[in-house]
Amino acid sequence: MTFALQSGLFFRRKLLETLRQPVWIITGLSTPLLYLALFEPLLRSVAGSPSLPAGHVLDVFVPGILALVAFGAGMGAGWVVIWELDSGVIERLRVTPASRFALLLGTVLRDVAMFVLPGIVVIGIAVGFGFDAHWAGLALMFVLLALFAAACSATSSALGIQLKQIGSLAAVVTGVQLPLTLLSGILLPLSLGPDWLRVLGHLNPMYYTVQAARDLAAGTVTATAVGTGFLVTGAAAALAMWWGTRSYQRAMT
Amino acid sequence: MPVTESPPIAIQAHGLRKSFRVKKQAVEAVSGLDLIVAAGQIFGFLGPNGAGKTTTLRILTTLLPADAGTAFVAGADVVRSPQQVRSRIGYVGQLGGADGSATGVENLLLQARLYGMTAAAAAGRAKELIELFDLGAFAGRVVRTYSGGQRRRLEVALGILHHPQVLFLDEPSTGLDPQNRANLWDQIRQLRDDGTTVFLTTHYLDEADQLSDRLAIVDHGRVIAEGTPAQLKQRYSGDTIVLTPTGPPDSLPPLERELAGIPFVRSTRIQDGSIRLAVTDATPSMAAVFGALADRGIGISAASLAQPSLDDVFLHETGRSLRDAGAPGGGPATDRQAGEQVPA
Repeated sequence: MTFALQSGLFFRRKLLETLRQPVWIITGLSTPLLYLALFEPLLRSVAGSPSLPAGHVLDVFVPGILALVAFGAGMGAGWVVIWELDSGVIERLRVTPASRFALLLGTVLRDVAMFVLPGIVVIGIAVGFGFDAHWAGLALMFVLLALFAAACSATSSALGIQLKQIGSLAAVVTGVQLPLTLLSGILLPLSLGPDWLRVLGHLNPMYYTVQAARDLAAGTVTATAVGTGFLVTGAAAALAMWWGTRSYQRAMT
Repeated sequence: MPVTESPPIAIQAHGLRKSFRVKKQAVEAVSGLDLIVAAGQIFGFLGPNGAGKTTTLRILTTLLPADAGTAFVAGADVVRSPQQVRSRIGYVGQLGGADGSATGVENLLLQARLYGMTAAAAAGRAKELIELFDLGAFAGRVVRTYSGGQRRRLEVALGILHHPQVLFLDEPSTGLDPQNRANLWDQIRQLRDDGTTVFLTTHYLDEADQLSDRLAIVDHGRVIAEGTPAQLKQRYSGDTIVLTPTGPPDSLPPLERELAGIPFVRSTRIQDGSIRLAVTDATPSMAAVFGALADRGIGISAASLAQPSLDDVFLHETGRSLRDAGAPGGGPATDRQAGEQVPA
């Protein structure tokens, strides 16, 4: 009970922090919308293969954009953690009896919210442009991508605490972002690529998340890829939260 | 564990050790530190930057595990029962710790809820503290906009919010102007008078001297002297009488030899045309010295009493001055503000 209460308190604190910096909310919304407005027309003109059928570009592309939103919402956590280390906030909270997991979870829940809300806006706009919505599948997809956002958020917090420097964190995050997103088939399906690229993709946990998200968005809830996606994403989230909590237990400037 | 009935012990540490790896080399920040702090007093922990003060504090506040040794704080073992220690202590770190993106009130309310208060109790306690620390004018503003003094007041309020038995303060007056510093000292004394044990680290000689009921001087990770400020100064240096005779410079050595024979005078030294007499107790020795001078008809152009300082104690123990110790590179990176000037 105490744990739930503390998680709620930390979640509220993080939510207030975000609401005081509306610039995050604006960029959180504008990035996916820019993808929709600027990238989708490009895709439309190259569509026509079996893995990217003409007329269904949005159906393939929207789940990818949502995975990107989830990635972006989660990966921002580490920056604030470093700032909180430097200003002694984490040290102060660590001397209170508060649960370290609750401390991590407050940020994770905020980041999940920062994925879900823009995500719903993106779906609404995409439907207007002709996205074929399967509501039950979409609901499950949001659960899956919320888990993914949570994994990213906990990883980012852990990285921030371990690296301690904004510069190092930025280098690591931007360094992994490109291979991770490209090799997950977010922007273009990996099936368009050569064999070696597809093999590399299978080594990327994010690949399974995106595959499952595509199946769910298409309404094929029972696809094998959905089960695999939930398994891999769930395991990644659990591992990341364990790492994040451990990092909070030892956080030191 | 030996526990005496009176006074109760707030902090007891034995054989604490902690080393860090700095550039692939093990640097021992705390090396066999022993400490006993009785409850209800202000205990100063004085030492140069890099002496291991902050590391010791972090071990005692459960933030950092020691490599070896035991520590009991507010009756609980910091290793075996960290949650009990946490619920009984308050901590105001060197970095402050107020959340800059929240308002003062939000900071206080969250802290109160984390210590298990209900929403109503938290609101009541926040109101009390806003009054006590005079935060009313800015408590509704986001902390990022506060001045240094306002921020520090909020941070001390956060540290004592749950009525801790032991309050830890790490370099509490760093960066404060004299006015805010004096206010902080008053608040710390008030807390002590209300029964809180206050453990504070400082590298300011005057702060350790004027604020502490007892203090420990630390260097290279261990306690080198411990006692009340008066005891320490008395034990190691006593008072110093500085005399400037009217006679020519070559009259000083014979006079020095004569004065050295007076009771209470422990040692003598000629410096800058004056004779410095280290005496055990200023008042009776002044009378004896002036009596001796009058008997011999020696004129004095200036006489003064030099106050002994804690720096004399540090000098006596380590062979160097606290003002010069802890220069950049002198210690591990765990103590912040390395190389900062120590004001007189």
